[in-house]
Parts: sequence; structure tokens; C-alpha cells
Amino acid sequence: MSEHGRSRWVFPPWVNQLRVVAGVALVVIPVYLVVLVGFGASPRTTDVGYAPEQPVPYSHALHVGQLGLDCRYCHNTVEEAAKAAIPPTQTCMNCHARIRAASPKLLSVRESYATGMPIPWVRVHDLPDYVYFDHSAHVRRGVGCVSCHGRVDTMEVVQQVEPLSMGWCLDCHRNPDPHLRPPELVTSMDWVPPEKPEVYGRRLREQLGIRPSTDCGTCHR
Amino acid sequence: MPRSLKYALAVIAVLALLPLALVAKARVATSPRPRVHLIFDMDNQPKFKAQSANPLFADGRAMRLPVPGTVARGTLVPQEVATGRKGVQWLEVIPVPVDRQLLLRGQERYNIFCAPCHGYSGYGDGAVQRRAERLEEGTWTPVASFHTETARARPVGYIFNAITNGVRTMPPYGAQIPVEDRWAIVAYVKALQRSQWATLADVPKEVRPQLEVRMREHDGTR
Repeated sequence: MSEHGRSRWVFPPWVNQLRVVAGVALVVIPVYLVVLVGFGASPRTTDVGYAPEQPVPYSHALHVGQLGLDCRYCHNTVEEAAKAAIPPTQTCMNCHARIRAASPKLLSVRESYATGMPIPWVRVHDLPDYVYFDHSAHVRRGVGCVSCHGRVDTMEVVQQVEPLSMGWCLDCHRNPDPHLRPPELVTSMDWVPPEKPEVYGRRLREQLGIRPSTDCGTCHR
Repeated sequence: MPRSLKYALAVIAVLALLPLALVAKARVATSPRPRVHLIFDMDNQPKFKAQSANPLFADGRAMRLPVPGTVARGTLVPQEVATGRKGVQWLEVIPVPVDRQLLLRGQERYNIFCAPCHGYSGYGDGAVQRRAERLEEGTWTPVASFHTETARARPVGYIFNAITNGVRTMPPYGAQIPVEDRWAIVAYVKALQRSQWATLADVPKEVRPQLEVRMREHDGTR
């Protein structure tokens, strides 16, 4: 057998370098995967920032930020019911029968009002169907709207700003103090506690007897 | 190492950065596209929740509208309380107990539902009124003040009915505000009216001197 023929069956010298490459890969690939899945699959990546286009370009920045409407003018079920209801078209028409009554942006509102068909608003904050969140329980105990929904009064298009994940819920259920405020100020968007949030919230929690549960059955039935 | 292998490794290393870049973008940017759902579990179950859509019905509502005139269980109140009138006469006295609690509730509800047009003091200068003025569209009727002689003479039943069914160009708020809250608002409106026409005799004796000083400073007379 010729010299050349035999070398086909022997690893060339550069293969030794592959050991280094393999060694590096063995460290880098697991780290890479952990980082990718850890960040990529986090609700802060997949859910936060969801800002669907709505059938009517309703601006919270105008109605809440500039005009100062209270959240409850439209979402008037929030203190009594689990769901902060999307208002019926009648609520829009309270004003828009006479203000911007011919605006093309409001066409589908007028159509809905005339035909009785609901406006197909797109839900922004959507929890899994096995979670039974109750707005009234939170709002009446002084968890501000802004704590979960962010500065809605500055949003032209509403977007999700918090992950709404189970870990995120539990963070607050385990330590609610920094998120509590006097219940009559829940809808204020720019309220700041008069002292350190933990101290102020703790006093409120003790006054109002707030004991958030972390039992499974509190949210899952 | 052959050059081709070196290039291949370099390309893989660069491509591996792409998912990281996409993740980084998803974390800082907003998106109108539906959320990425990695694990479905039972996130979306074949059931209908409040305000969800049901294609079985012509109007697409999963929640059916109650028959007009339906009274929910436990919410039946006497006719006078529900309408603000006795026969054809407006009630002159609020038919529920008026206390500090009711007035505070009324103030809160007034500030939510009424103040946008009527203004926090009831002069008809709310933010919506002011915006309508600026827009000058010619379709807006200026909001009435609560502090005119006519408004002050209105019986409480009339005010209650105006909230419930609307009056002139004001829309009805009966569907938005429960009966008890409407009476609370009526009580608060009456308090607002009183506050703007109060005399020194209405002020408790202990605080009168303080107020007199303030009034002299202000050169006010009322």
C-alpha cells in the first residue's frame, strides 16, 4: 500500500485542535441554551409589550391623561365584579353623540350603537383560563390600577407592561406592602406614598387587615 | 484545521447570536402580534367567560342581554326609591338615610361620573365641557350650572330622575350607576349647592372667627 493510501485512514494532525473546540462548545452551548430559554421563554419577553390594534383608535392618553376621566367612569364594574368590564357602546356615546360626532375614527362606534352589535375590542390582559383573578378584591384593598396596568394615562395604545405570570402574582401576595395605597386612591395614576412604600404599606396592611393568601385555591379552582 | 471548517464554525457562532437578538428586541419593543404561546397547558379552554364572544348567537355575545325591565335578585327597591317620584310628584326628601358616609360616597361617585362635564364644584365647567368649547363643533349644548336659582329649586326626585334617565341633551346614567349611588350623588349635589350659597350663620360658632379673618383678607362678602 502506498504512503498516500494509508494516510486516508489516519486522522490528520489538525484534528487535535478539535478537542479544544469541543471543550469550548461543551461549556458555551449549555450556557447559551440556559440564557436563551431563560430569557426567551420568560413572560417578560413573550407577553410584556403586547399592544394589539383595536377596532377603534381609543386613546387613554387623551381621555385619562388630558381629560382626567376616572378609570371607573368606563370600567364601572371593577369595584363589584371580578372583571373590569369593557364599557358598552352607550358609554362612548354619552359624550360622542355630541363631541366628534362625525369623526371617521368613531365610525364603528356609531355603527355598533345603531345596530346593537358589540364592538370587537381586543383583549390586552388575558390570564390563563384556569386563573380566577378578581378585580374587586384587589381594588377594594388598595392595590392601585397602575400597579398591574402601568401608566395607562400616557398610553395612546394600551400595552401590557407586567408579565402577569404566577411568580409575579406571588411576589406581591407574599409581600404586598410596597404596592398598597389608601383604597380611595386606587385609580390615581401618579400617586406616590408620603413615606417609604414598605413602611406606609405595612401600616395600611395592618389597619385594613389585609392578608393575601398564597394557597393554590385562592386563584385556581 | 481546513479553512472551510473554520468558516462553518464562525457562521454558526454568528447565527447563534440571532435568537438572542430577537429575544432582546421582544423584551424592549411593543408588538401588535398575538403573544407567543410556548406551552399551551389549558390556557384557552372551550368555555365562555364574561364579555367573551360566542358565534352561536347572531350578535356574537356569550353574555345574553336581560329582558328589558328585568330586576336582578335582591335588588328590588320601593318604587319611590327606584324612580324618584311618588305618583306624578317629584320626591322632595331623599328616601334613604342621609349620613356622612352617604355624602362621602356621593362625592366620590360625583367626581367619577358627573365632574367630567359638571365640574368638581358644579358650575358646569368640567374637562369635557372645556374640550367641547375648544373644539367649537356646534353640536354641544353647554352644561348647566347647579348654582342657578332654577337648579337650586329642583326637587331631589327631579335630580335623581335626571341621572337615571338623562335630561335634555344629558345622557342617562341609570345603567352605569346603581340606585344607592345615584341617591348618594343627589345628596352630594344638594351639599354642593348649599356650599356655594352658604352664609356665615351656616358655619359652626367655634370656627367663625377664623373664617371672618380669611374673608377680610379676601375682601369677600358671601
